[in-house]
Amino acid sequence: MSLKTLTKPWEAMAYGFLDGSAKREIRRKMIKAIAVPGCQMPYASREVPMARGWGTGGLQVSLTLVNPTMRVKVIDQGADDSVNAASIRRFIARVAGAPTTMDTLDADLIQSRHRIPEEILRDDQVLVLQVPNPEPLRPVQPNMSIARQMHADADYGRMWLQLYEQIVRSGRVMQGASYPSLVHGRHVMTPSPIPRWDVPKLNMAQHLTILSAGREKRIFAVPPYTRVEPLVFSDVPYKVEDHAGLTCHRSGTRGFFMNEIPQEDGSSAFEVSDSEWGVKAIRRRDGEEVALGETWYKNGRMPS
Amino acid sequence: MAYVATRGGERAIEQSQRLFCAEMGDITPDRIAEIRAAMPYLIDRIMGEASLYDEDLAALALAQTGGELYEAVLLLRAWRTTQPRISVAEPVTQDALFTHRRISAAFKDIPGGQVLGPTLDYAHRILATTVLDGQVSTPDPVTPAKMASPPRQPSVSAWQAENGLLSPATSDHLTGNDIPDVTREPLLFPAKRAHTLQSLARAETGGVLALGYAAQRGYGQAHPTVNELRLAEAEIVVTHPRGTRFSAGRVKVSQAEVVSKKGSQLELGFSATMGWNEVKVIAAATLDLNSKGAPKGSATEEEFFLYHTEGVESSGFCIHFKLPHYVTFQSSLDAMRDAKARKAAPEKSPEPAE
Repeated sequence: MSLKTLTKPWEAMAYGFLDGSAKREIRRKMIKAIAVPGCQMPYASREVPMARGWGTGGLQVSLTLVNPTMRVKVIDQGADDSVNAASIRRFIARVAGAPTTMDTLDADLIQSRHRIPEEILRDDQVLVLQVPNPEPLRPVQPNMSIARQMHADADYGRMWLQLYEQIVRSGRVMQGASYPSLVHGRHVMTPSPIPRWDVPKLNMAQHLTILSAGREKRIFAVPPYTRVEPLVFSDVPYKVEDHAGLTCHRSGTRGFFMNEIPQEDGSSAFEVSDSEWGVKAIRRRDGEEVALGETWYKNGRMPS
Repeated sequence: MAYVATRGGERAIEQSQRLFCAEMGDITPDRIAEIRAAMPYLIDRIMGEASLYDEDLAALALAQTGGELYEAVLLLRAWRTTQPRISVAEPVTQDALFTHRRISAAFKDIPGGQVLGPTLDYAHRILATTVLDGQVSTPDPVTPAKMASPPRQPSVSAWQAENGLLSPATSDHLTGNDIPDVTREPLLFPAKRAHTLQSLARAETGGVLALGYAAQRGYGQAHPTVNELRLAEAEIVVTHPRGTRFSAGRVKVSQAEVVSKKGSQLELGFSATMGWNEVKVIAAATLDLNSKGAPKGSATEEEFFLYHTEGVESSGFCIHFKLPHYVTFQSSLDAMRDAKARKAAPEKSPEPAE
């Protein structure tokens, strides 16, 4: 054995951009996060060639998990062609040589900002959610070290109080996206700013979800078949966005989360937020043979 | 027609980058050399914030970003994080610094002397507009002092400690890779001393100034006296694998000691950074001085100022608001409209809790 056989020729960049020590740390933190579902694990969070707040947490996880055979899908607000999704997809493909796809069914690794695709994810798929603020307690306790202690004590009273106050003041829970949810009956987490529509998709899901906040340096996870329960009072049921009856004006698909497009005549048109689902629906309508996966929602309802 | 122009996003970002770069034209080695020579203080500032000491790379980052400082620092940080760690240099002590400028506001004269060094402090801030009329502004030559000031001096706090005026800082005796490194470990609170000083050294100058100034104006508990401000060069001493200790060169550093005069002893606040950046180290040392016992959530509390002066994180988050947020916006609109509808027709909300 010589030094030559043990070393590799110099390269300008490690495979997948991150160096070995960064990947090792992220792997360890992911395993910890999976072991304690919903609990935030601090990690060093290296700088990547992208601005903080633009998916650097999700990117570090994707770069750690990716290999040259993994098919990668990147979405932003449901759309594959959104400029930042395009930028992240191009970066992962460039530094990891991974093939990319827009079809949820073909993807092995899905990095997403603020949406879970409408087609049911399988147990061989990993969903990586970008997280701007990993701390569900931030609105009631902006100090991270105190919030950490509150999680340790399962001290969620102020969280409940906040929801109660919203009901008293506005007649309903006013939380839009990022609905705080109890994971595995222990830790309250933010599911990242996915709409309320998407939170039930995490409950007892077959796939692994990793949530990563690069700027705030926290990783947490929802392992397969884990309970994710939105915080609700027993007599005030959880309400998803009222999108069940909306029809996409471009694809004709109905019963999914929609983008509202204001019209000049003062009305609104709607288009399906999961852009690739819309694309596939149009292709099928035009006579192409397209595989549509089974969806979480059926006729606009989540089967319980 | 396709549902979306599938590659539209990629084409758009490519063209927008070209548009940005078109304004700056060619980046040439000459341009890099000129930036490096003409703007040492700007180079110093971004080297400090990037925590990467390389004047050529810093000048390149400035050229590549057209002087967009946050982008320049991010470029350097992203480059830095990929670099292997060949060696960890020996600790630099204050009395070993090759000192160019060192002043104390606490005493009229100090052991080793007040050394004014290079500064614009007493300059009349008048624009040299004649340059715009075609004249060259040539700096007047410096007349060397009759007696050179000693290049190495003890710190003022060392004298104060000797005289029982303050408790000297105690060393944790960590060296090499045992020193906690904030770029390879998460910052948790209460922060390790090394993490605090490293974070302040990397902090964004404007952010540190804003919070440090708030503390100086009265939002902090302690009013600082500049015990010592020093601009110097530090010897980077490393050990060759064969065992030889040698200097790999010198880097410019700034450091500030500030003290408060409350109680029976002086309290010391300290900050140091790479490059010469006086405003930053005075403001950062003020924050350090004020952090002990600061109320949770106040601007002088460690967690508050370390998080919020991190330039790459704060600028990145600020500009991320440009990204589309229509899913989250839609989700909130839905709740808002429903709440409004309930107010308009309260009898139509049959849920038992109401």
